[in-house]
Amino acid sequence: MVKRSWMVWMAAMVICFSLMGNHSQLKAAEPFSIGILGPFTGSLAFNAEEMKKGMMLAVDEVNAKGGVFGRKVELIYGDTEAKPDKGVAAVKKLITRDKVLVVGGGYASSVNIATTEVCQNEKVPIVVAIAISPTITNRGFDYVFRTSPNSPQFLSGMNDWLEKVKKPKTVAFLMENTDYGRDGEKIWSAQSKKIGAKELAHLYFEIGDTDFTTQISKLKELKPEVTFNIASTTEAALIQKQAKELNFVTQWIGVGGQFTEAYFKMCGTVCQYAMGSSLEPTLAMKNPIVADFVKRYEAKYQKARPGIFSSQGYDNIMVIIDAIKRTGKLTGDLQKDRDAIRDALRKTSIELSQGKIEFDKNGQVYTVVPSPVQVHIVDGKPQLSIIYPPDRAGAAYQEPLPWGKRKI
Amino acid sequence: MNQKPLKFFATILGIILVLALPFIIQDRYFQHLLVLSGIFIILTSSWNLLAGFSGLLNLGHAAFYGIGGYASALLALKLGISPWIGLPLGGITSSIFGIFLGIPSFRLSGPYLAITTIGFSEILRLVSMNWVDLTRGSLGLYGIPPLTSIKLWNGMVIKFISEQNFYYVVIISASLILLIIKRLIDSEFGISLKSMREDEMGSESIGIDTSRYKLTVFMISAFLAGFAGALYAHYVRLISPEMLSLGETFTILTMVMIGGLGTLYGPVVGAVMLTFLSEGLRFLEDIVKLDIRFVIYGALLMVTIIFMRNGVVGLFRKKSQD
Amino acid sequence: MESLFLQQVFNGIIVGSVYCLIAIGLTMIFGVMKIANFAHGDFSMLGAYFAIYFLLLISGWVGWIGALIIAGIGVGLIGLLVERFLFRPLLTRWTDIDIIMVSIGLFIFLENGARLIFGTAPKMIADPFHSQGINLLFFSTSMIRLLCFFFSVVMIIFLQMFLTKTKMGVAIRATSQNRNASLLMGININFIYSITFVVGSVLAGLGGVLYGTIFAVFPMMGAMPTLKAFAITILGGMGNIRGAIFGGFILGIAETLGGNYISMQYKNAIGFIIIILVLLIIPQGLFGGRQNK
Repeated sequence: MVKRSWMVWMAAMVICFSLMGNHSQLKAAEPFSIGILGPFTGSLAFNAEEMKKGMMLAVDEVNAKGGVFGRKVELIYGDTEAKPDKGVAAVKKLITRDKVLVVGGGYASSVNIATTEVCQNEKVPIVVAIAISPTITNRGFDYVFRTSPNSPQFLSGMNDWLEKVKKPKTVAFLMENTDYGRDGEKIWSAQSKKIGAKELAHLYFEIGDTDFTTQISKLKELKPEVTFNIASTTEAALIQKQAKELNFVTQWIGVGGQFTEAYFKMCGTVCQYAMGSSLEPTLAMKNPIVADFVKRYEAKYQKARPGIFSSQGYDNIMVIIDAIKRTGKLTGDLQKDRDAIRDALRKTSIELSQGKIEFDKNGQVYTVVPSPVQVHIVDGKPQLSIIYPPDRAGAAYQEPLPWGKRKI
Repeated sequence: MNQKPLKFFATILGIILVLALPFIIQDRYFQHLLVLSGIFIILTSSWNLLAGFSGLLNLGHAAFYGIGGYASALLALKLGISPWIGLPLGGITSSIFGIFLGIPSFRLSGPYLAITTIGFSEILRLVSMNWVDLTRGSLGLYGIPPLTSIKLWNGMVIKFISEQNFYYVVIISASLILLIIKRLIDSEFGISLKSMREDEMGSESIGIDTSRYKLTVFMISAFLAGFAGALYAHYVRLISPEMLSLGETFTILTMVMIGGLGTLYGPVVGAVMLTFLSEGLRFLEDIVKLDIRFVIYGALLMVTIIFMRNGVVGLFRKKSQD
Repeated sequence: MESLFLQQVFNGIIVGSVYCLIAIGLTMIFGVMKIANFAHGDFSMLGAYFAIYFLLLISGWVGWIGALIIAGIGVGLIGLLVERFLFRPLLTRWTDIDIIMVSIGLFIFLENGARLIFGTAPKMIADPFHSQGINLLFFSTSMIRLLCFFFSVVMIIFLQMFLTKTKMGVAIRATSQNRNASLLMGININFIYSITFVVGSVLAGLGGVLYGTIFAVFPMMGAMPTLKAFAITILGGMGNIRGAIFGGFILGIAETLGGNYISMQYKNAIGFIIIILVLLIIPQGLFGGRQNK
């Protein structure tokens, strides 16, 4: 009987290994591959899809012009499911099995803190697309770069506005229980203390929660002038809707990542007056490079709106490809090439859909500046308008009206 | 034909194959899957002790796994305790929590016990998500130190960061644990467990103190699961509250049911099969453009219980009895 | 004059009424067939998705009501198939544990199947009131939540009438209490099993539509309601429908009050803590149900 069991075990192993064997071939030398991380399943999935669309636009453009060094660019995707341990598994696979030259993409701070550490240990350059926690680029990791502003940069305009214009006396916090939420909370808490605003409550929720009535009911009793709400698309939309249902009015301030097409579809005009910091390309159409990107995006995707994630995805890939081009050539020695790409990334200076991209000594982009925006209703539809600073503002700040007085 | 020399020879061959595997196949990702399989072998075997041999359906098993991982990781990160010591300490921590499930099992059975165990692991998962000061919440713990390197007498240093070296730690642990389990279930203790599984009231009537046995087997099972969790923590070096999720328990359960509940090698077969199948089936994604692996697992689980009650191992057993 | 306490109590009652529908189905199925169905919440999920797709065809008021009907029929049919071909053949052959395992397999299959077919992005069931709120004296809520609450109450009343005043309903209760005696009395057990499972699933499906309207619809939405339904059935006593009704409201209110006054983050743990406490102290539930051995 023991013998049978051993046979069983070995037979099973043989079957499985042979199934595996089909797919562990080295990726062919051409085309060359860039690994892309993202939460392609889970509640952040459609934002990841937006990022992917921007990336594919970039890849198609580059390949149409002959690729790089005559070779086509290929993206290999790793699904992080927005969970740190799955992200680590995904990036390890991209590095060891798919043997990518460089890793891009990445969305969600908690996941990226972990994946960047792996890349640093494995000596593979990684360019993070969408994550704002400062930790990602302040650990002295020379293989880590980020094309998205970090949270202090993201919120500096908003903090200015809070200090000089709004001057709230009471604030409250309703935060996603992640790095994304907690980092923003720290910044705003510090700012509140600086401007003398009283912090009435710190409330939390998890990604995937759908019922916020308990939290909102509590906030309603406290009546804060400003409620900081860091949330992703779905949760943010649900919070807006449930606030209306419970008749709660406050000045909602978020980071801005929630203002996606899906968000507006889900909450419609209910989100009027909500604020955030935005890098929406459609707000910067005066810049010809940006306008051109918007045009090409709309042409490829039939009138879909290029939001913040698609433009960040696009820029991420273009920065990577630009760096690969500047290495001059690829030797075929994986580690040498990866190091060459890292060195090239350091010297990046390129104008893209978010503006100019240059990295500081920590690999953090410092040339992209988001602006405080507010949702205004124009022709019955919700739209973002920059409201500060005055030289860039497109419209004036509007104080939120009680529900009964709103026209919609 | 004389079975004994053949059996002996096959066993030796098997052992050599297993030990030499990482040298035969050098692909790092393959080795990574081997390590994961090994950790799961320990985890599934521990669950099998409860559900398979003792008839105790524990749907909160992931909690033991996670507690072991967090305990060992925190001891290493906050108190600088060597991961080698952290491994058994993680096991012991889980074992203590095993007491909390052992006691309700005296009175509850079947679905009632199952729900209690789910409640137990969900509460602990929420704690690990929300006690941010201790566990960093859903961000998880990263930067967990690896098993400390060993310096040999001739000056050579063995590091435990690579998949290959860690594989040996795992395979030796798993083998020892399987040996221990085999001894356990063949002993008087094991026989009592099995009789308790079949007929609890009958066992009580012949003098078996079922409460004591239940408590003991919960503690042993929890220890092993915690040990596996600690191994995982010092291998992947990043853990999150997901380790305590229901999904993790369902993975363990699926592995054991498909491999063969209540057998010694069933969990082994299940763990290895599903870990590698997970990879092997990825090509389906290219064909169907969708990730249908979990749908297949769900279907497999149902089919297994209906048609192959004793799993893959059971299939082979039947044949040998024909 | 608004009171936070009353507001939270009311929030709890509303959410509790939806929990009730789902839990009643579970406890009925367990009472009659002894099946602890871990995939029960997935019927809610399927009901919600039926509603979403129906509302794409017909929107607004008519759409929403039609969606409820379609969801009920759709989930009922699926329930019929599942009972007939998955659970019934197993009832005589296998043990408790096996049935739980099969239902877990069904859960994994349905949840991931839904992910594939519908995608993971959450969707909304269009609110015919457009999120309009309403201010009652001590608390506020939305029109749609109020409607869902009334709908649940009406369904519960219908169910009670069905169980007490119709022949079939009485037969179901008889089987639940004593299967052998019912057999002897000439009740067609297989037929009762089918009806019970279908009714239970339909209730879950309708609960799913309500749940999806108030919150959101996504493939993983079935897991939490399943666990909460189990908490409620244990609280009320497995097989005890009256207990499930009380249990549903008790859980809903306990969650909102606990979340408000004790801790927001452990809100979902309240259900589990209740399960554990009840099972340890009063194994047969607050209202007495089947003994657990």
